[in-house]
Order: sequence, then C-alpha cells, then structure tokens
Amino acid sequence: MFTVFVSLAAALPLAAQSSTPAKSDTYAKDIAPILNAQCVACHHTGGPAPFPLTTFAEVRSHAHQIADVTRAHYMPPWLPDTQVSKFVDQLELSDVQIKTIQSWVGQGAAAGDLASAPKPQNFPDGWQLGKPDLVLTTPKPWTMPASSVDIYRNFIFRVPIDQMKYVRAVEIRPGNTGAVHHANVLIDRKASLRKRDGEDGQPGFPGMDVALESDAFDPDSHFIYWKPGAVVWSEPEGLSWELDPGTDLILNMHLQASGKAEQVQPSLGIYFASSPPTLHPMLLQLDADEQLDIPAGDSNFAVHDEFTLPIDVDVIAIYPHAHYLGHEMNTFATLPDGKKQWLVKIPQWDQSWQGIYRYKGYIHLPRGTVISMQYTYDNSAANVRNPSHPPRRVTVGNSSTDEMAHVWLQVLPVPPEVDGQDARLILQQAVMQHVLEKRPQDFSAHFNLGALYLGQGKAADAEKQFALALAARPNDAATLNSLGAAIEAQGRTAEAVELFRKSIAADPSYVNAHFNLAMALGSSGDFNGAIAEFQRVLTSHPDDSGAEANLGAAYAQINDWKNAEMHLRRALALDPQNKTAEENLAIVLQNLPGH
Amino acid sequence: MRKSPVEVFIFLRTDCPISNRFAPEVQRLSQQFATKGAQFWLVYPDRAESAANVATNAKDFGYSLPVLRDPDRALVKLSHASITPEAAVFSRGKLVYHGRIDDRVAALGKVRPAATTHELQAAVSAALLGQTPAVTEAPAIGCYISDLQ
Repeated sequence: MFTVFVSLAAALPLAAQSSTPAKSDTYAKDIAPILNAQCVACHHTGGPAPFPLTTFAEVRSHAHQIADVTRAHYMPPWLPDTQVSKFVDQLELSDVQIKTIQSWVGQGAAAGDLASAPKPQNFPDGWQLGKPDLVLTTPKPWTMPASSVDIYRNFIFRVPIDQMKYVRAVEIRPGNTGAVHHANVLIDRKASLRKRDGEDGQPGFPGMDVALESDAFDPDSHFIYWKPGAVVWSEPEGLSWELDPGTDLILNMHLQASGKAEQVQPSLGIYFASSPPTLHPMLLQLDADEQLDIPAGDSNFAVHDEFTLPIDVDVIAIYPHAHYLGHEMNTFATLPDGKKQWLVKIPQWDQSWQGIYRYKGYIHLPRGTVISMQYTYDNSAANVRNPSHPPRRVTVGNSSTDEMAHVWLQVLPVPPEVDGQDARLILQQAVMQHVLEKRPQDFSAHFNLGALYLGQGKAADAEKQFALALAARPNDAATLNSLGAAIEAQGRTAEAVELFRKSIAADPSYVNAHFNLAMALGSSGDFNGAIAEFQRVLTSHPDDSGAEANLGAAYAQINDWKNAEMHLRRALALDPQNKTAEENLAIVLQNLPGH
Repeated sequence: MRKSPVEVFIFLRTDCPISNRFAPEVQRLSQQFATKGAQFWLVYPDRAESAANVATNAKDFGYSLPVLRDPDRALVKLSHASITPEAAVFSRGKLVYHGRIDDRVAALGKVRPAATTHELQAAVSAALLGQTPAVTEAPAIGCYISDLQ
C-alpha cells in the first residue's frame, strides 16, 4: 500500500502540469534540451540519421512523427532495459520527456523564444578521436544497389605495418553514413579471408556472419564496433591489444538500401597505444546454436545456455546476437549466494539496432557464478521481419535466413594469473569443455582444446583433441598440421612427417605445415628435404627470420658453409635479436674455407 | 495535364527516408503501367522546399516521371493524402484508391524483407479495367504531410 501512495504522490504534479493549458511547452524551452541530449548526435546535417533535428524548422517539419516514434519507444533506438543495467552512452527518454514531447505536439508545436533555445553541440566532420596513426581505406568504392533486402558486406583491410603495434582504438568511418546501419571489425590474424575478396567482382565479399580460421590459442579480446551515434571507444590505459604484421582487419557491415545506388567506401582509423597491455580481457561466448530448430509458424521458441565460471571475472561489456527472428533476449548471472544479477535484458530484439553494451562500472562475478542466456524466437508470419514468407523451418547458420543464439561477454579474469598461468587459459578450457557437453563433435572446441594443451606442453592430451577435431573435419590442413605437431612433440617424427605431408596435400599454400615439415625432416637427418621445405616457406614469406635461420642451420649440417653464412646473415638482418642464429653464424664462419 | 484514363499521384518529400526508399518500386510500377493507360505523377507538398531540391531528389532517386508541387495542398485534399509516401489513384477523375504503395513497411522501424500485399498495383490494374479496386484504402506509413509548413 505504501508504494502505491508514493507513486501516486509523485505522479500528481505531472498530471496537473500536462492538463493545465496555462503552461504550454515550447521548442526553445522544453523540446530543444531533450533533442540536444538524446537525438542530435545522429540527427544533424552530415550525421547518420536521415534528417537533421537541430533547428526549430527541422523539428517542426517532423513533429508528429517525433511524437509517434518516441511514444512507441522506436526512437531513440536502444534495446536493453535500462532499469536493470546501466550502460555507457545509453540512449533513453524518460516517461516525463516522452510526455513533454506529446503535449508539445498536441498543443501545436510552438516555437517559443528561439533566441533563448539551447544550441546543439558541434559535431566534427573528421575523425572523432583526432588524426589517426594509420588510416586504411578500401581501394575502390563498392556500389550498393538502390533497392534490396538488407545487405551484409565485408571489406578486407591489409595492415601495412612491419612490426607489432599496440592499438587503443579503431575508428570506423562507414564511408556512407546514410546507408550503413552498423559495422564491426574482426581481427583475422591468419589472413584467412583474403581469398574471398572480390569473389563476386566487387570489392569485398557478401555475408552476414563470417567465420575466421585460427590455429593458436588467441581468444578474441576486444569489441570494435560502429553504430549510428555511438561515441568512438578508446581503450583505457592497459587495455590496448596487439596488432601483428600480416594481420587483416575485416569490416563486417550491415547496410540498408536507400532508394538510390550508393557508393560505399569505408575507412578505418587506427590509434596506437604508447604502452603494451597490462590487462588481458577475453570474449566469453555462450550459445545455444545446437537447440536452434525452429518450426515454421512457432511464435515463441525458447533456447538457453548456462555456463559456470571457473574463476572470478569482471564483466566489461556484452554483445547479444541473433538474426531476424530473435524476440526476447535475456542474459543474467546467478551468484553463488543465489542473488540474481542482470547482464542484459532485451524485451524486444531488433537486429537492426544491435550493439555492444559497455557497463558503466565493471560487474564482478565470483567463481561458481552461473551465467544464463535465455532467448526466444518468433518464426510466425506475424513477425514482420521474418525473412521467409511464408515462414519455413529455421536452423543455425551464418546467413540472414538462418538464426543464431549467441552472447559474448568481454571479461577480465580476476586475478589475471593463477599459479603462474594466464587465467584466460582456465576460462577457455572450461568454455571449450562446456561446448563439448553441448556438441560432443564440435570441431572448434576440440581444435581449441588441442591448441591449449599443446601450449601447456600436454602433447598426449593435445593429440587426442586434434584427432577428434580431425574426425569432425577429416581433411582440414590446419588440423592435420597441429596433430602432426602434437605427435612430433612426443618424438614420433616419422608419423608427424606423414601428417605434415597430408596437410600440405590438403592445402599446398599452408605455410605452417611446410615449416613444421622442414623442422621434422631436419630433426630426422633429412637436411636436403628440410632445405627444400624452408625454401618453400621463404618463397611465400620472404621475411620470415625463423625460416632463414633454420635454413642456414640446415645448410651447415650438409657443410654448405657459403649458403649457411648467407642465410644466417639474412636471418640476423631480419631479426638482430636471434641469439641462436648469431651463435650458428660464428660456428659457420670458423668453418668457411680460408678461415 | 494530359488526360489518361487512370492518373496516379505519389506524394513525396525529399527528406523522408521511407518515401525515398520506395523510389525504385514506384518507378517500376509507373513503367509497368505506362503503355496501359496509367500516368504516374510525383507530388511534393512541401512549400518550404526549393524547386531545385525537388528536381535533384527526383533525379537522384532515378525517377523519370513528371513532378508536381502542391504548396496549397489542393492535390493532398483531393487525394485524402496525409503521409509521404502515399499513393492516390483516380479513374476518370474519381478517387478509387488512396493509401500505401504496398505493405513492406509495417510500422516505423518495422520493415518486411519484401512486400506481401501490393495495394497500389492492384488498384491501378482494377482501375484500368474500369473496376473498383477490392481495397480502396490502406493506411500509409511514413512522414506526416501535416508536419510540413
């Protein structure tokens, strides 16, 4: 009863206000401050919104529309419930502000004293974070058709750096703000998607979600994202990330046709950090992909996933993801003491306005906390966004007519190390084991566990996992190579050589397998074979100092001192810190004729 | 105005994203019916918009249709139009349909991947046969004409 009294008392003055004609709202006094705070970041000339709302005339010419879209909570676009979680840069209008807009429009949308209206802030035309250290632009614009269903396009940016850099920010300039709905950057450390660039005769390649190949323990750690109006994110001190030479950045964009053909030429501005990272976050993924088998017409299909934290973490940000059928998308934590902690509550998903949500303060979750993801899907004809008409059975997949059930949490392990070991390894191992409980034949989980064990020196465990990965994907070059490496680490060189050869047969351009084969041949005394393989590595990677050093050593083994000297010198020119190459060169020089 | 048996007015404004997004569909329909006796007209009711901006908008969005201005809202009234984009179909001078072009936009922010009903196309087809369209009104979604000066 007491609660009812309080809310009534609070509501009374408001009701009185809006029903008193004497107090009339004006643009200058009541509306401009609301729009300036929540709308004009997108709705300014040159901004990503379709029309500006920075002057009375502009606002007046959309007044009833503004009343409609704010009342319907379509604008400003913000999916998460702000009552249960607080995020950086969240867009929301209070009920009072929405009422003010309605009553202003209802009263005739008066201007008021325009001279006293607050001015909107200035929006710089150029890079929001200032001049980038490195700007990458697609060489040619891509032409988007005038009319289409939603378009998903990926652009590949090669990163022209010759030494490792630390990055604090990547600013995405979509190259046509009116056409681009959102964009995110993936880090392709193996340049595994280059081969798809231009596959349809236009810059980039199509696709809603893309899968990257990786063959080492290198979990994704940062979200790089653009959506209209979002403030560009610069990582705080200590949270920079490594960008290695040879890495490609993949810009994955969601575009909407505007009614005319649009030229889209995106750029990335990269800002280097002055210091290496001291904190190492990790993207923790929950998913329920294996449960996605949504019957045609089902309006409330539910999936869920639960993951128990093996260590304490701080949650920095969250990224929920589904396609067009996603409806209610909730993620929460149940702490060991039973307390429920919301992570994100989305009552009505709209994939067009998806985003990365960064918490105003990190959320600490102790070991033993259960993280729960609970999503529902609407595959009925009543879901207007349903890509299939009439609805059809929908399963998991990367295309827009398939579905996904994912949430990624960016977490920092607390403390960062356990018994001298990177705590992310413990987390990654638990995640992969959890995936295998859900999907015992999951290729990536077996592969990642194998890489994890190999990195920890547990070669026999790694061998088991790579063998299971290979059973899931029988002729996969990376898996054949990794299985070979796990077997070589146990001293079974002949078996390993066979596997490296099979890996090369599966993908002749796979340089890691050539390198491993060369090393294995060398260690089994076949130095001529090793020399031939190192030369193949150097043909595709002429600046690989490790290959040069080993090639030099192999020449020394067959007493070809001149070639040994040449390649060891080359290795040292590429990497002056290579102590082994330096020692080997000293030995070679003593053996050179005339010494 | 040259008299055609069927006249179609499409109400537009230059800064309405929904009306712009319909341009390829309007142009397609106008071509489909061009030789069959239906004449399409683009109508811009915004009196504050410059003639140059109107012409640029029609050109940018690929229209090859005659453009009318309607600063006094005479055509708006005649057509019972209230939204951009909205269509009005006149058969021998009589209003036989007004409303949305199709149902692709279900609400502001709720867009189907493709339209499932094609009210304008059906109305023009019926009018060309001298029939009353099965659907004579369907609410349009977009920007309010009454918000304009």
